[in-house]
Amino acid sequence: MNLDARRNVILIFIILMIGVYVVKLFYMQVVDDTWTLRAQEIAEKRKVVFPPRGVIFDRNGKKIVTNQTYYNLMMVEDSIVDLDTAAFAKLIGWTPKQVKERFKEIVEGEGSYYNKISKKRTSNYQKIRAYPFLKDLTLEEMSLIAPHLANFKGFYEEATSARNYPYKSAANILGYLSEVNAEEIKEDAFYKPGNNIGRSGIERFYEKHLRGIKGIKYIVTSALNNAIESYADGKYDTTARQAEPLRMGMDIELQFYGEKLMQNKKGCIVVIEPQSGEILSMVSAPSYDPNLLVGKRNISANYPKLVNDPNLPLFPRPLQAEYPPGSIFKLVQSLIAMQEGVITSHTGFPCDKDLVGCHNHPSARNIAEAIQYSCNPYYYMAVRRVIQQKVKKNINEDAAYGLQKWNRYIQSFGLGEKLDTDVSGQRPGLIPNVAFYDKWYGHNAWAFSTIRSISIGQGEVKLTPLQMANIVAIIANKGWYYTPHFVRSVGKSGALEQFRKKHWTMIDQKHFDPVIEGMRRVVNEPGGTGELARLENIIVCGKTGTVQNPHGEDHSVFFAFAPMENPKIAIAVFVENAGWGGTWAAPIASLMIEKYLKGKVSNLDQEKLIIDTKIAYKRPR
Amino acid sequence: MRKPESLTKHLDWPLFGALILMLIMGLATIYSVAFNEDAPAIFSFNEKYGRQLFWILFSLFLGLMVFLIDSDIYRRFAIPIYLSTLFLLLIVLFMPAVHGAHAWIGIGSFGVQPAEFAKISTSLLLAKYISGLTVKQQNTRTVLTASSILLVPMALILLQPDAGTFVVFTSFLFVMYREGLTFDPILLNFVNRIPGVRFKETWLGSHFIPILFAFLILSVVTLLLDSVVITLPFFGLDLPLSGSLLVIFGLLLIYLVAWLVTQRLIAPRDRSRMTVVLTLGLIIAGSLSFAVDKGFDMLRKHQKDRIELFLGLREDPNGDDYNRNRAMAAVGSGGFLGKGYGKASVSSVRSNHVPESETDFIFCPFAEEWGFAGVLVLFILYFFMLFRIIVIAERQRAAFNRIYAYCVAMILFYHFAINIGMNIGFAPVIGIPLPFFSYGGSSMMSFCVMMFILLKLDAQRKDVLR
Repeated sequence: MNLDARRNVILIFIILMIGVYVVKLFYMQVVDDTWTLRAQEIAEKRKVVFPPRGVIFDRNGKKIVTNQTYYNLMMVEDSIVDLDTAAFAKLIGWTPKQVKERFKEIVEGEGSYYNKISKKRTSNYQKIRAYPFLKDLTLEEMSLIAPHLANFKGFYEEATSARNYPYKSAANILGYLSEVNAEEIKEDAFYKPGNNIGRSGIERFYEKHLRGIKGIKYIVTSALNNAIESYADGKYDTTARQAEPLRMGMDIELQFYGEKLMQNKKGCIVVIEPQSGEILSMVSAPSYDPNLLVGKRNISANYPKLVNDPNLPLFPRPLQAEYPPGSIFKLVQSLIAMQEGVITSHTGFPCDKDLVGCHNHPSARNIAEAIQYSCNPYYYMAVRRVIQQKVKKNINEDAAYGLQKWNRYIQSFGLGEKLDTDVSGQRPGLIPNVAFYDKWYGHNAWAFSTIRSISIGQGEVKLTPLQMANIVAIIANKGWYYTPHFVRSVGKSGALEQFRKKHWTMIDQKHFDPVIEGMRRVVNEPGGTGELARLENIIVCGKTGTVQNPHGEDHSVFFAFAPMENPKIAIAVFVENAGWGGTWAAPIASLMIEKYLKGKVSNLDQEKLIIDTKIAYKRPR
Repeated sequence: MRKPESLTKHLDWPLFGALILMLIMGLATIYSVAFNEDAPAIFSFNEKYGRQLFWILFSLFLGLMVFLIDSDIYRRFAIPIYLSTLFLLLIVLFMPAVHGAHAWIGIGSFGVQPAEFAKISTSLLLAKYISGLTVKQQNTRTVLTASSILLVPMALILLQPDAGTFVVFTSFLFVMYREGLTFDPILLNFVNRIPGVRFKETWLGSHFIPILFAFLILSVVTLLLDSVVITLPFFGLDLPLSGSLLVIFGLLLIYLVAWLVTQRLIAPRDRSRMTVVLTLGLIIAGSLSFAVDKGFDMLRKHQKDRIELFLGLREDPNGDDYNRNRAMAAVGSGGFLGKGYGKASVSSVRSNHVPESETDFIFCPFAEEWGFAGVLVLFILYFFMLFRIIVIAERQRAAFNRIYAYCVAMILFYHFAINIGMNIGFAPVIGIPLPFFSYGGSSMMSFCVMMFILLKLDAQRKDVLR
């Protein structure tokens, strides 16, 4: 037997093995990329870096929405070693039971999916992932916990940013953030579970801008999911960019002052800069401190309280409350009647109380006096001429023809539909048209006498305070307006396109003069209904109103702009259940005007009286 | 004492060079994989690379010692060396367990593993015993004596337990085979009891060991291919092949190739005989593979699970299959040219995705950093080393030297094959080091001493008279 040949058997074994190994390695390393992908899955993490949200400035460059650093207590279950639940619970001030429940909540909160391979429901929760155990801790809270975290492996602190509102006002305008829901994540790949999204107000409308541009960091991670180093020295990384600040037209000092005046009352104030359409202030009373709705913990603690408050602090009255406009509508009616040529500025009507009720005053000899006296019969007659132009023989058809014309004028004031402003959740109000009345009374079954209450802004007509304030701005501008809006500049690119377009009403400029004169008299002539709004050195043009309220005391309303020449401010004030318009709404308007135009108020007694007065304010339970 | 220059005079430089090259590659890999920014110096003794450097230098020092001593002592003192190793293997069983195995003697990181040295002493004794036999002396007793030289340390090692080293000891079977010490006498004992049968030798008995291994490899391949389905278009029919059918198909291809090759290379008179051998081989291998496939199907579920897990057929990347899965991801992500030195993102010690990436899984970072190109270089170097050892073995005058050289070759082959197989899903995860690469003092010392004894024996080969 030739044993030397057996050397070859051994060599064949060696060569075969090397051959097989080389083929396998070539397949694994060069041909097949399964393992490369698996390696990426294991060792590389795409870490998404969210920039802090864009900050918001007011018109004077004051920061009204900023970001503050908060801390999350993160947890990685796989890294937890022999957790002393009792000690841990003590550290964070919980009971051990609460800690266990929170664990369960995190696991369940991640949801589950149907795994096609294992044919089982599998939890999205992963033991090697980090989850926030406690969210939005302040520095003070964290500084009590952090030094002891070394004893609890698997827990660590992580900084996050959350909104902060230094002025504690304008809550209903600014809105609040809350965590995205599953649907929003599905719709927009930007979001990840746990991210915040603008839930209302400016935060919601400018969400896509404010959220900024997220960055992506590729990092190499260890088996414990700790970041080790950046992948390929950060070659593929993109940096997160914070959005450029929003600049609002709002004057935060004025807003704050308005909220102070309206405290313990219900109602709202809308202030617009007429020549730009920028909203200087929009008070909804009662309001709340926007800091109450920062972070999940705060929201879950405070939101139910706010929802259940009988004074409805979450209800943005300037945008969503719909009131019959009352006397301010007479200003619009005057303009329409003059434009239609059915009256002139010198047309007078007797104050015939048989037509419609009125208070005692001399008969109006012209438009200015009609406004000064707020004469109901005057408008009954003037608007009748607009509606019943006697073009058609049938009185009903004639009324429909007239109402259609009237509707077109009204529309040019931006009424009857939502203003295209930059806060969502507006109500459109209601301007009745032919179809509305045909449905209500039947076709050809109504005439001016049926719908007469629209002439004095009662009955079916409903407007939001924002729409009413816009009417004042239109009058101040003598015939045009920019859509009222909050943000004057998104970063450096100016206001949105829709706010740069001038809207013209169908009223010629000359017709505004007698109306403005009437408004001047309301405030500045002896016996005017808005005497309490009078200011020294500033000619305030105003109009009182009393909105009939079927549920209780009437609402006190006052509209004004100032100064008369080259107006800088247009304002609408509503005080719910405060009765006669001149009593409460007018002085509030005057204080606001003075505060804005002069920076301080002179009538401190009145200011104090208003601040101290409670009207129809229910104590929250 | 010899003069100093004669130390290197007869040194086999190619093998020595390959050894040094491997040591450098191994140290470089450890330096990269366990790199600590705070202690970048290679001499940092608190770091793994610093210690490994120490172990390498110490091992080379031991190698020098080996060279200073006359090689005759290994043959002469083979039995005392063997017995003292057995004694150590016995003592180690009473040492505290590290990672569940009583494998270490000593304290902390400076302990030694007697099992590593048992390979050398067993090689020496085996070489001594077999070299003292002639072919005619082969009988049941000699086979059993040779086997028990292996079985005693194997039993003690299994008690530790150390499955890896246990498996490595089966490499001596190849040495026995090479030396003609087969299990034929045992087989003949049984066969010749059959009335009328009087064989002098059986083919199966003589080649029992390679056949056994071929059978094992065939079974494993069959089972590995059980979950792979390749559909072949076969005369318009789609023929899904998997498991044994796939093996048979593969064997058929090999058969055709082998047949074509042999028809050209082999003398005409041997051709028909070769065809018969090949056809028989094909039929036997095919039916074996088929039998394994069917047999596996008949196993109970938990037995199947065991085997599937052992062979890595079970998808359990975060459980029992964690190491292998991570290791394969590291190796597979290397690509053709690798991620670059020091950039093993999956298998670095710091990332710790591949446990033991500086010891048993050191091939991972190497393959990840250097890619297929680096692997090819390593394989060439490694084949060169084995080939060179076999060349050295065959040029020895003394049988003792030749047998010892084959022992070294086969031990290294086993270590390379199993260790790298672990990293690519071809071998079960049993902890054995990659020679000259893996971090660890005992294995470094034992492999170096083993190599230097061989080099010394070879250097002195001309002194030995037959």
